[in-house]
Amino acid sequence: MIEINNVEKRFGSAEVLKRINLKVEPGEVVTILGSSGSGKSTLIRCINGLETLSGGAIRVDGNDVSTAAGLAAARRRSATVFQLFNLYPHMTVLQNVTLAPIHVLGQPRAEAETRARALLDLVGLTAQADAYPQRLSGGQRQRVGICRALAMQPRYLLLDEVTSALDPEMTGEVLDILARLAAEGTTMVFVTHEIEFARRISDRIVFLEAGELIVDMPAEAFFSEEGGLAVPRIRKFLSKMTKD
Amino acid sequence: MIRSWNALEPHLGFLLEGFALTVAACVLAVAGAVVLGALIASLRTARSRAARAVAAVYCDLFRNVPFIVQLFFFFYGLPELGIYIGAFETGVLAMSIAGGAFVADVIRAGILSIEQGVIEAARVFGLGRWQIFSRIVMPNALRVSVRPMGSVLINLVLTSSILSTITVNELTGTAKIVAATTFMPFEVYAVLLVLYAALTYALSLAVAGVHRRLNRGMPEAVA
Ligand SMILES: Nc1ncnc2c1ncn2[C@@H]1O[C@H](COP(=O)(O)OP(=O)(O)OP(=O)(O)O)[C@@H](O)[C@H]1O
Ligand SMILES: [Mg+2]
Repeated sequence: MIEINNVEKRFGSAEVLKRINLKVEPGEVVTILGSSGSGKSTLIRCINGLETLSGGAIRVDGNDVSTAAGLAAARRRSATVFQLFNLYPHMTVLQNVTLAPIHVLGQPRAEAETRARALLDLVGLTAQADAYPQRLSGGQRQRVGICRALAMQPRYLLLDEVTSALDPEMTGEVLDILARLAAEGTTMVFVTHEIEFARRISDRIVFLEAGELIVDMPAEAFFSEEGGLAVPRIRKFLSKMTKD
Repeated sequence: MIRSWNALEPHLGFLLEGFALTVAACVLAVAGAVVLGALIASLRTARSRAARAVAAVYCDLFRNVPFIVQLFFFFYGLPELGIYIGAFETGVLAMSIAGGAFVADVIRAGILSIEQGVIEAARVFGLGRWQIFSRIVMPNALRVSVRPMGSVLINLVLTSSILSTITVNELTGTAKIVAATTFMPFEVYAVLLVLYAALTYALSLAVAGVHRRLNRGMPEAVA
């Protein structure tokens, strides 16, 4: 379980996260919605330890990310897929996927490569295993990013706008894979602007507004008249997002 | 003309010995400068403020003092400190140290050019600081810095001629002697011209080779 308790994050005097509380149970897909600058990325970066908390605590399966040992353990349990892919440019696709399994999990190279190739097969990148990232399309790069994350056999997948740098066709490629993972019961914390997709795959939706978590609801409720749509701020957000 | 070239022939062996010494000094100094430069560059980008300060002082100091002054400083200074090494070793040491300061600058620029997101990815996937440095930062930094490092290293090779001032009979040193004994400075320095050009050309080929190897898979515009 990922437990986020009273988390605060300040950059200088700017309060970017204000007493956030959120629990993600194994098997759940939790989508974080909110307008630009509301703190979604910052929240993800607090979970994976790229930002230090200004207050509160985050535990991943009981491991406190504010301690060095806890963070190391938390990072073995979760994996992140990035908006701009962040692949290692000097390594082939296969090396990108096997780096952490070999050097962090200590898997033998042969085993790591077998697993990596199996993952690449699943996302249709069998032929690209020995290519360098620069030779791939955006959609292919992001599929590598997903394989790199899955190769860690994470319990939790953190995804921050993983399709927003992609055109609609490539977005489709990537979302199909995520839908499959969700259906298989992969736990996900998912930041996205793809409202329709979020509605389809999420168990719960939370809404961030200027650093505050103002709504946390099951997905159906969030999109229903009595639930999310009854909150003026969310109605406005949804009508704006679905218009374009 | 023909007559004078023939007169030079008995001295060619001696000149080539000098050339061999130059090559040896350059190979060692290039290796030393790259290793030292990588080390200093990593200190310059380290977390510790003290490490950064030490590295910055090192770079400023050795880039802003004439090489010949540094060379004499080591040549006459080390024995004062009770360190007795040969003139050749002193020369290689001085070249490595001076070259390292320039190499460090170039590698540092390479380190700073790495996308922060790539390093964040490595952190999130659990790689340790040393692993990130050796497996992500350095390979990428070197990739963009081999080319500019090439010109630094070629300069270093040219600088090796100054070693003749501390009794090392490398190429320039032997040439001075041969020129003085044969009274044929033009022919002697013509030979030197060819040999130095060959040496730096070989180095630039090696640098291009390393560059190509490190930039496999990169689009042409970057490579
Ligand atoms: N390193 C930083 N230093 C200062 N301010 C920051 C930093 N990172 C984020 N912020 C600020 O924190 C706020 C939240 O940023 P964040 O990136 O989390 O928003 P977001 O919800 O992910 O937005 P978007 O939908 O545009 O990605 C913004 O006002 C942003 O300017
Ligand atoms: Mg964001």
